[in-house]
Amino acid sequence: MTSSTRAEVVLAPGRGRAPALSATGVMAAARIVWREFQLNYRGPAFWVMAAGGVGIAVWRASLTGATSALAAYHVWRSAVTGLAVLAVLIGGAAAARDKRDASSELVLAKPLGASAQLVFARFLGVWLSLMTIVAIMLAAAAVRQLIGGTPWHVGAYANAFVRCLAPLALATALGFSLTAIFVNSLAGAVGALYWLAVPLVHAHVPSAADMTPTQHWPAPALLTIGLVALTAALHGRATKGAAESRACLGWAAALFIAAGLAVSLGIAYSGEDALSARDPVLSAMAAQRLLPEERAPGFWAPDGQHQIVGLSDFEGRPIALAFWGPGEPESARVIALLGEAASRYKGAGLACVAVCVDGDSATVGPFAKEAGAGVTIVRDRGQHYGDGEVWSDAPLGLAYEVKAVPTVFLLDRNRRLVARIESHSIESLARSLETLVAER
Amino acid sequence: MQIEIRDLRKVYPGGVVGLHGLNLTIPSGLYGLLGPNGSGKTTLMRILATLLEPTSGEARVGGHDVHKDKAAVREMLGYMPQEFGFYPNLTAYETLDYFALLCRITGKQERQRRIEEALGHANLSQLAGRRVGTFSGGMKQRLGIAQALLNNPRVLIVDEPTSGLDPEERIRLRNLWAELAGDRVIILSTHIVADLAASAEQLAILHKGKLLFAGRPSELLSPLRGQTWIIDIEEEELSTIRSQFFVTGVFRSATGMQVRAIGEKMGHPKGYLAEPTMDDAYVHTMKREAGAEATALDQPTGVQAGPGAEANDLIN
Repeated sequence: MTSSTRAEVVLAPGRGRAPALSATGVMAAARIVWREFQLNYRGPAFWVMAAGGVGIAVWRASLTGATSALAAYHVWRSAVTGLAVLAVLIGGAAAARDKRDASSELVLAKPLGASAQLVFARFLGVWLSLMTIVAIMLAAAAVRQLIGGTPWHVGAYANAFVRCLAPLALATALGFSLTAIFVNSLAGAVGALYWLAVPLVHAHVPSAADMTPTQHWPAPALLTIGLVALTAALHGRATKGAAESRACLGWAAALFIAAGLAVSLGIAYSGEDALSARDPVLSAMAAQRLLPEERAPGFWAPDGQHQIVGLSDFEGRPIALAFWGPGEPESARVIALLGEAASRYKGAGLACVAVCVDGDSATVGPFAKEAGAGVTIVRDRGQHYGDGEVWSDAPLGLAYEVKAVPTVFLLDRNRRLVARIESHSIESLARSLETLVAER
Repeated sequence: MQIEIRDLRKVYPGGVVGLHGLNLTIPSGLYGLLGPNGSGKTTLMRILATLLEPTSGEARVGGHDVHKDKAAVREMLGYMPQEFGFYPNLTAYETLDYFALLCRITGKQERQRRIEEALGHANLSQLAGRRVGTFSGGMKQRLGIAQALLNNPRVLIVDEPTSGLDPEERIRLRNLWAELAGDRVIILSTHIVADLAASAEQLAILHKGKLLFAGRPSELLSPLRGQTWIIDIEEEELSTIRSQFFVTGVFRSATGMQVRAIGEKMGHPKGYLAEPTMDDAYVHTMKREAGAEATALDQPTGVQAGPGAEANDLIN
């Protein structure tokens, strides 16, 4: 056998090539995602972020009175604010990798190197690595709570994880796409940070974060797909001649970005912010006043299970009505206090209602599950709490003139105000409740 | 399998001309590409590798236009640029797995087999599990070769680095190209001219984007047969010799100096006829073209401590 025929045998023509949509094709795509994930988790940045995240999670889970829901809520919040900014940088670094490691030409000369699939797979790999950090943070919080003997609610951690998917996808896509499009990673990072910084200033952190979770996920999801599609459409342009014509992908990107912006605008105009000024029912609710000797302002508000709960549901029973927010961990303790009171005064018919002034139904859900049947948790509408004050567009907060959380109102069987307990005198709650249920 | 290049022209933004209407047919086998820096070799290879768009003209790889049918060309292409890097956090095996996926080798076992073969060809099997970030320059070059072989390319384009490989590895690679050539086209751009005499079936010499020569190495050498001389000279004679001959090499010997020179007649008493080498032919071709610029190429192989081995062997 001559040397050249031996080479032919060794490098026999390709078998095992499958069309892109076959099972092996999907497995191969998943493997590119996995390799991209490896490229991220093997870098020092990943472990620095994971270590920082674990520190924050353990600290939050260690605070006095921290329940699973509260710890998970704070992991979510750290992720969508702090980790999101880092996601921009990590996404940017991933997009600049070929340029930085001088592997662009090797990649682009390969059959799939200039393809849109590669761009999407790389994006997914980066996103996966960031979600892994979230999972590590949540696991750390859960372990800390198990060690501390705090009752454990797996749903709260799952909820926080799911709520990180959309915001971190958008943050990653911002860094990834801007860097890939502008080629220079620094330009991309500066651009992306600027856009992140806009909503972050002036105490709009909860607002920025709440634009993205569960019920608003279409906005970030559409923008993410649009940005990554745009990146894919432009992939390879920096190396003249390598790019393939992908006009339809460009149109799809434009469509997704336009839809994402439209949904965002829709949320901004008809969403929950300042809703009390537009919705006549909420305006009427906000116009009520809490006056001595008169029935306390009534309301209809959604609970954690998307049911509408009204104060009239508790007609003829003494009511403990608390305002709280998960952003103030101390105020969330009021749920535990009400839970104890509810079981102690079950015979006296005490109704315990906790109004969340900070967050959406996805925020309230885990707290409601954790509180159990004793405490009814509802939420005031919109984004109402930040920088230690209740904002003026919270209809219930307005009606009850709540300035800070927690504040507990004790209403007698005729729904008249008996006591107003502010955060600084919350210790007196037990005594006041005893007086309340003693009244006939 | 062959590559057809017709009136291929590349003008870079700013007016720099990379290729002046090149016409060339590259058949199967090892094809050498020679030329100084800026001659258009890399431009040509990047166009053939679908990474650069020509300004006009066309290039067809196995019948597929490199500009209009990039996907088909990439399917049969293995490319190793002169300068490249890898992701330092992946091992050699993982790197090749990544590139194999980019070559659409989706079957797991198939991929594994191809990677192991490529590692074997590049003499990297022992280093498969090591992270690329810890590799030396030579190891990275070998990994570059391995990634180019993954998809069993019918066209292999290698822009050889000027450094990085030790002599033993270089010889091993020459043998590998010869072994792989068969029905494939292997385009090897190199700075080591002498190597091509033995291994390349055909070669082309480019200068400033123009083709100076295309054909078999023997065709390049034959006009110089009977005109290539080795002359023992005194140091002060050098400038006189330069004015009379094309000097292709200057060496220092124990008694003085020795030059390799090309000229029709030998008037010098210490001049002996020699067999032309690829170095002679290359330098002669370049000098003839460059004319006034010849001074820059006077000492292509440098002044060596004694007569070069090649020169000694070839003295008649």
